[in-house]
Amino acid sequence: MSTKVKQPSLFHWWLKLRSPLFWSRRPNSERVMLRLPTVGRALAGAAKSSLAPSNTVRTSVQAASNMVEVFVDGKPVEVEPGTTVLQACEKVGVQIPRFCYHERLSVAGNCRMCLVEIEKAPKPVAACAMPVMKGWNILTNSEKTRKAREGVMEFLLANHPLDCPICDQGGECDLQDQSMQFGSDRSRFTERKRAVEDKNIGPLIKTIMTRCIQCTRCVRFASEIAGVEDLGTTGRGNNLQIGTYVEKMFMSELSGNVIDVCPVGALTSKPYAFTARPWETRKTESIDVMDAVGSNIIVSTRGGEVMRVMPRLNEDVNEEWISDKTRFSYDGLKRQRLTQPMVKDGSGQLTATTWEDALTRVAGALQSVQGSEVAAIAGGLADAEALVSLKDLLNRLDSENLCTEEVFPMEGAGTDLRSNYLLNSRIAGIEDCDLLLLIGTNPRYEAPMFNARVRKSWLHNELQVAMVGQSVDLSYTYDHLGEETSVLKELADGTHPFCQVLSAAKRPVVVVGSSALQREDGAAILGAVSTIAQNARTSSGVEEGWKVLNVLHRVASQVAALDLGYKAGVDAIRKNPPKVLFLLGADAGCITRADLPKDSLIIYQGHHGDVGATMADIILPGAAYTEKNATYVNTEGRSQHTRVAVTAPGMAREDWKIIRAVSDLAGVALPYDTVDEVRARLEEVSPNLVRYDDIQEANYFKQANELAQAVNQDLIASPLVPPQLTVKDFYMTDSISRASQTMAKCVKAVTEGAAAVDEPSIC
Amino acid sequence: MAEYLNVVRRALGQIGGHGGLKGLLVQFFRANDVKTGALIGVDKYGNKYFEDNKHYFFGRHRWVLYTTEMNGKNTMWEVDGSMVPAEWHRWLHCMTDDPPTTHPPEPKKFLAEVHQFNVSGSAQQYVPYSTTRKKVHEWVPPKAEAQ
Amino acid sequence: MLSLSRAVVSGVVRSPAAVSQAGVTAITRFNSTAQTAPKKTTFGPLADEDRIFTNLYGRHDWRLNGALKRGDWYKTKEILLNGVDWILNEIKVSGLRGRGGAGFPTGMKWSFMNKPSDGRPKYLVVNADEGEPGTCKDREIMRHDPHKLVEGCLIAGKAMGARAAYIYIRGEFYNESSNLQVAINEAYAAGLIGKNSCGSGYDFDVFVMRGAGAYICGEETALIESLEGKQGKPRLKPPFPADVGAFGCPTTVANVETVSVAPTICRRGGSWFLGFGRERNSGTKLFNISGHVNTPCTVEEEMSIPLKELIERHAGGVRGGWDNLLAVIPGGSSTPLIPKSVCEDVLMDFDGLVQAQTGLGTAALIVMDKSTDIIRAIARLIEFYKHESCGQCTPCREGVDWMNDMMWRFVRGDARQAEIDMIWEISKQIEGHTICALGDGAAWPVQGLIRHFRPVMENRISEYQQQARA
Repeated sequence: MSTKVKQPSLFHWWLKLRSPLFWSRRPNSERVMLRLPTVGRALAGAAKSSLAPSNTVRTSVQAASNMVEVFVDGKPVEVEPGTTVLQACEKVGVQIPRFCYHERLSVAGNCRMCLVEIEKAPKPVAACAMPVMKGWNILTNSEKTRKAREGVMEFLLANHPLDCPICDQGGECDLQDQSMQFGSDRSRFTERKRAVEDKNIGPLIKTIMTRCIQCTRCVRFASEIAGVEDLGTTGRGNNLQIGTYVEKMFMSELSGNVIDVCPVGALTSKPYAFTARPWETRKTESIDVMDAVGSNIIVSTRGGEVMRVMPRLNEDVNEEWISDKTRFSYDGLKRQRLTQPMVKDGSGQLTATTWEDALTRVAGALQSVQGSEVAAIAGGLADAEALVSLKDLLNRLDSENLCTEEVFPMEGAGTDLRSNYLLNSRIAGIEDCDLLLLIGTNPRYEAPMFNARVRKSWLHNELQVAMVGQSVDLSYTYDHLGEETSVLKELADGTHPFCQVLSAAKRPVVVVGSSALQREDGAAILGAVSTIAQNARTSSGVEEGWKVLNVLHRVASQVAALDLGYKAGVDAIRKNPPKVLFLLGADAGCITRADLPKDSLIIYQGHHGDVGATMADIILPGAAYTEKNATYVNTEGRSQHTRVAVTAPGMAREDWKIIRAVSDLAGVALPYDTVDEVRARLEEVSPNLVRYDDIQEANYFKQANELAQAVNQDLIASPLVPPQLTVKDFYMTDSISRASQTMAKCVKAVTEGAAAVDEPSIC
Repeated sequence: MAEYLNVVRRALGQIGGHGGLKGLLVQFFRANDVKTGALIGVDKYGNKYFEDNKHYFFGRHRWVLYTTEMNGKNTMWEVDGSMVPAEWHRWLHCMTDDPPTTHPPEPKKFLAEVHQFNVSGSAQQYVPYSTTRKKVHEWVPPKAEAQ
Repeated sequence: MLSLSRAVVSGVVRSPAAVSQAGVTAITRFNSTAQTAPKKTTFGPLADEDRIFTNLYGRHDWRLNGALKRGDWYKTKEILLNGVDWILNEIKVSGLRGRGGAGFPTGMKWSFMNKPSDGRPKYLVVNADEGEPGTCKDREIMRHDPHKLVEGCLIAGKAMGARAAYIYIRGEFYNESSNLQVAINEAYAAGLIGKNSCGSGYDFDVFVMRGAGAYICGEETALIESLEGKQGKPRLKPPFPADVGAFGCPTTVANVETVSVAPTICRRGGSWFLGFGRERNSGTKLFNISGHVNTPCTVEEEMSIPLKELIERHAGGVRGGWDNLLAVIPGGSSTPLIPKSVCEDVLMDFDGLVQAQTGLGTAALIVMDKSTDIIRAIARLIEFYKHESCGQCTPCREGVDWMNDMMWRFVRGDARQAEIDMIWEISKQIEGHTICALGDGAAWPVQGLIRHFRPVMENRISEYQQQARA
């Protein structure tokens, strides 16, 4: 086993120093001392009094609150010491124009758009970078401020092409908006404009580098959030260019976010290019189902077609980023779709039919066999409404054979204790922990937004990360403890050298990947992990509410399915093959025809013609996540719901309605007719499922650990290898992304280079 | 008296002109009309063209008796105006008074060798198609392997 | 030399009041001790025994033996043992102001480093990236008197409690850097620096780092970035280098000349140094005189020497006589030029030149006689700044390029009269709006040109228009 010692590079340290987070945490006294020279020069006499220690002049109330009073256009406002001018202005509702400043990135201060005048200061200061000093009067709309802005705006527009009519950023362009608000109405620039060669940085991001205003937001995003040093600046002065140094792809699972980050149209979406304008699309707030994180998204639609997917702010889940799969796999929603019911005809060929025919056949098949001979498997994209309907249907038919494709060990506490299968610490909770132990997972590709949060914490909060499992590039450094299961055993026994680090941690978090639990020795692994977590909890002495054990799921439906009482894994079905098998979007291929008796009937309900549909006898076309109002529970146990953005194509219908129709024909009508009634039923089964955007606490680790001790299973020696190792495994993981051409291009680009998928650009 | 005689004469003329009572009934049921006139010509498909300026006013003075089989289709009872070929169409619609029997049409490249009649309603009919991109591409189930 | 610490430079030119405010603390000190001293009214020439750089022309041995003969490394141990406060006090008393261009009081700057340590080491970074057109003083020190610099590093390092000194030397200075390296090696071998430097118990290392020839790396924060191995692009301040500098540690960036005079000041006393020059502009200074003079030279002179005397005495006068003088750029290329009328009686010191709406800068005089195409000269300077702009912040990146294009049109006269006001406005839009002082340095020459030679520009334009009509 090799142990890498974490060596945060100087660059990272410097980043920390530049970030607003770092500054806001520093004590006041130190800051005042440091900035003494500035004040002496910049504010000559005025600052003298404000420099006096707070205990002499100021009232005790102010001294105690440790707040700094500044004025914005004469309006007083109390802010934390270390607040920047820009933040102080925002506090009183004054927006300072900016291009390079982005609140989640380090401060570059190079666009100079945010220059504001400080009363009595000789020259305007960059509001985004300058911390406020006591008593400053910030003049956000003075003559000098406006002159500075106009000047900067003129310079920015000097070399910016005036191609707004053909620019994809048009309508949502910071430069456009701010030049309307702060710019001059005519140009004095009569020299030649600069032109910059476009770069091919992959099939997702289109570059029109002439439009670039060199704000370096994308460079900072890449190096800080995404953790890849692919982007950078080359050249000096007017020849400064953003690029990848050498011709290569911008290879990151978060690369699409630079499109949102770019304030102009220099980086735009390649699949979205020239397809729609922001003002003609309808925006629907929804939830992503490509992974178990449940990123919040906005689905932009036009004319019944999904035009693009953009992130929606949710500080607890995805902040304002989304992964490339979330953003770009939407074209998979338009391909390989099941648009009409199908049945197998005499020759074994699937042919289109009517709903009446298909539903009657399904109902007939369900009625013709014993309840115990019916089974159902739920796939990774199934929503809670469909899951509960299907469960109710099968229960009414006297069947209990409901499984999920994803395996979770049922031995020990199994799925009975909710805390056993959730990411209990929550995604945002990673920012509070000081030691993270990852086991058998590659969060970078299994849950990119979770990984981004880990990286954020690693960068800003000195989070120490360790991992057991195959060594992968996580975009941050970590202690690699080995990939053998024996390491887990040693960690659980306390014989591993890392146990000392673990026991010294104040707020430890252990995350086990759901892929590690797919193994035959899943229960043993979970037991070992549970022991490690329990030991770490005891030694850290952390308060009772702190949760150590976490499971990181990979598919969107899993937590809801387990909450509803589905059995994890298809072992039961394999052991006891049913006559009628109902696949609810099950496309992972856990069960094949070969596992079932020859005469058994397979019903597939879902939205894509993928693995499941190919082996089905009857196909019931369902709706994809953009086409239904459905509940999903993410890996934290946070229930969220999607909204209807477009109607389902052809004859496809919402999933729970199909099952409701089947139940009617099968003579076991389910007692709900509207989605609200389904949700009332959900609440009956598991109330947390309809408490949207809320996480129900679950804290039974001790009991779970005790039950896990009872499991009589040995660890298998084979190493822990998560299924997604490199970025090429990331793009196509479910039926939607497998149908997406964009994702296919990504795979091609990462394996053969960006040039392999280069399309002649139109513009 | 003479009027009645005239009626009888015309009736007999009709019966004779159509080849007997059967012929008259066939004509009546096929064309919903019985007319006699001078046979101007027969085209290569067997359609017969008549003219009678004396007894009928302009517009009804030229007519066609359709053939019973054309282009391999039984047209005994399913007659169609489009069975008239172009050269006779001119004459029939009074675009000219010169029938193609006396004034054969100039051969033109665009004139069909074999006249095609209207295919509307049949499998060969023309259907306009959409030129816009399909928004959703449905899944095509794989061909069942021969068992 | 472009160690123009941004805020200070603008202070020098734009608001003298602010600078004097900062200077007052240092000044009041010596005023109280030297109340009776009669006010000096004439300055220069400097007597030979008062010269600090006695081997400026390389006529003597520059190596350790020669340096020892000239008095370097004499009683360095005692100076070190006198302690931090003593050194700082001497420097403060001397009234030494930074020689890199901005003229910040050195004693005050060094004392910023004397905060209680938080565990991070402190560094002295010597700015030897002398790239300012017209300036050639640091290279003379480094190739002919490197031991002055090495000893200065030790004393300055001691004054600020630095662990090591990094001398960031311009990449083109190959011979200078090798001489300096030899001097450092000699000093190490002689036990003057390194562990237990001079036997004082103070551990101090000196490293030489060669740059790659970018002018912007003379800006202190860009220099630090470059030193760290990154693109030489100025950082935002705050945090100032004294708080977060090289490798994230407290750092002071000082000019070669500033550091090199420190040992002599300590040996001969701050009051000796204070005796030269006017109030607040004390000491001796290396002046570089180039351009249309009979004998261009680098010479050490007393501060506040009249410009005319400096040129007449040391540079053999203006080519073709004083009356043939057109203009002088008094402080390196980034300071605004002054026409002959101003040159007559201006004094070569910080305050005198600020009054003349220019600056002392690095005290590199570029003399231009009447044969000069003054517009072309300034246009060439702007082209230099355009080429050397780092491109980080907008006004400098876009504005300097724009000014460059316009200036070359002005050279031909291919412009409208109104565009003179426009380029003035553009230069004002750049000035003070950038991260570092390069934008200011690019704007000032244009402003100086328009301020003093507007009629020339107007004539050029009308001539061109006449030709175009003909």
